[in-house]
Amino acid sequence: MSLKEENELIDQVLAGRQEAFASLVDHYKSYAFTIALKILNNRPEAEEAAQDGFIKAFRNLKSFSRNARFSTWLYRIVFNTAISYKRRHRHVMASIDHHDRSGEEDSSLERNDKQEFIAQAMEKLNETDRLAIQLYYIREFSLEEVSEMMGQNMNTLKVRVHRARQRLADVLQKILKEEALTL
Amino acid sequence: MEQITNTQEDSLLDFLDGKLEGHGLQQLKSELETSAILRERLEELRIVHQALVRNRLESPSSSFVDRVMAGLRRKPASVYASPKNGILLILGVLVAAGLLITMVSAGFFDSFNGIISMEQIAPTRKYLQWAAPSIPINAKLIMKTLVGLNLLIAFIVLDRTVLRPYFQRRQSQGS
Repeated sequence: MSLKEENELIDQVLAGRQEAFASLVDHYKSYAFTIALKILNNRPEAEEAAQDGFIKAFRNLKSFSRNARFSTWLYRIVFNTAISYKRRHRHVMASIDHHDRSGEEDSSLERNDKQEFIAQAMEKLNETDRLAIQLYYIREFSLEEVSEMMGQNMNTLKVRVHRARQRLADVLQKILKEEALTL
Repeated sequence: MEQITNTQEDSLLDFLDGKLEGHGLQQLKSELETSAILRERLEELRIVHQALVRNRLESPSSSFVDRVMAGLRRKPASVYASPKNGILLILGVLVAAGLLITMVSAGFFDSFNGIISMEQIAPTRKYLQWAAPSIPINAKLIMKTLVGLNLLIAFIVLDRTVLRPYFQRRQSQGS
C-alpha cells in the first residue's frame, strides 16, 4: 500500500467511513499480530492484543500526526497494548518460535536440537534484549521501525541486538559443551 | 591465548547481516584465514543467526478483520470495571448485607420502632400555626430495604464486571 493510498484511507475513516478502516486492518494485521505474538508468545492472546491495538488506533486516529508513518504509529500502539496484556497476565515469554522452521539449510547440528538449544539460550537473555532481537530478525520490520516501536534510539538498539547475539552465542557454546559432556 | 576484539565481533555480525563490504570485508576475510578462533566464533554466531532468520511474519486467524470491525462498534470498556475490582466490591456489599441480616434477625432493631412527632421539636412548635405531622419509624423495615438494595447493587456489579465481559469475550472468540 502506498503512502498516498494509506492517507486516503485515513481521510475516509476520519470523514466517518468506518469500512475504510478494514483495508488498513487487512494490510497491517500480520505485522500487528507478529509484534503481539513475540511479546505474549500465546496466539489467542496475541490476536486479542492486536485487535485491541487496532481498536485503540481507530479511536485515536484524530490524534495521528501525518509527520510519522501510520505503520510506525500503529506498531507502537500494538506494542504498548501487548506489553500491558503481558503485565496483566504475567506470562513467561518463550524465547523463540518453535512452529516456523522452514527455509534454512542446516550445518553441523540437527535442526530441532539447534532450535531447542537456541531457545534455551534465549531464555537467559533479559526481556528487552530478547524482544529486540526477535523483532530485528523479522525482515519486514526495519531497524528504524523496531527502534520507534520499542521507544529506543536506533544506535542503542543496534548495539543491544549485537550484544544480545554475542551473549546468545556464548550461552549456546556453553550449552553445547555441557551437552557434549553428558554424551 | 588469542582473543577476539569487540571490533572483530561487530565485523562478524555485520558480515552475517550482509552489511560488511569493501575494505572491512577484505580485512575480515584475511583475519578468518589466519585465525582458527575467529572462524570458530563465526560458526557460533552463524548458528544463532540461522536460527533467528527463521523469524517470520505470522498470520492471525481468518476472522481477524471482522473481529476488529465488530470491536469498533462496541463501547469502550470502563477502566475501573475489572473483574477483580468487581469481585472485591461484591464481597464488600455481601458482607455488609450479611451483617445487616444478622443484626435484624437478632432483634437488634426491634426497640427502634416508634413515631417521631414534629410537635416535640421546639422550633416547629414556635413557628407552625397548625399541628405538625408525626412520622412513623420502623427501623427493621428500613434495614430490610437496605439489605435489598445491597443485594441489588451486588447483582448489578456482578453483571457489569464479571458476567457481561465474560459472555462478550466468549461471543467474540466464537465469532
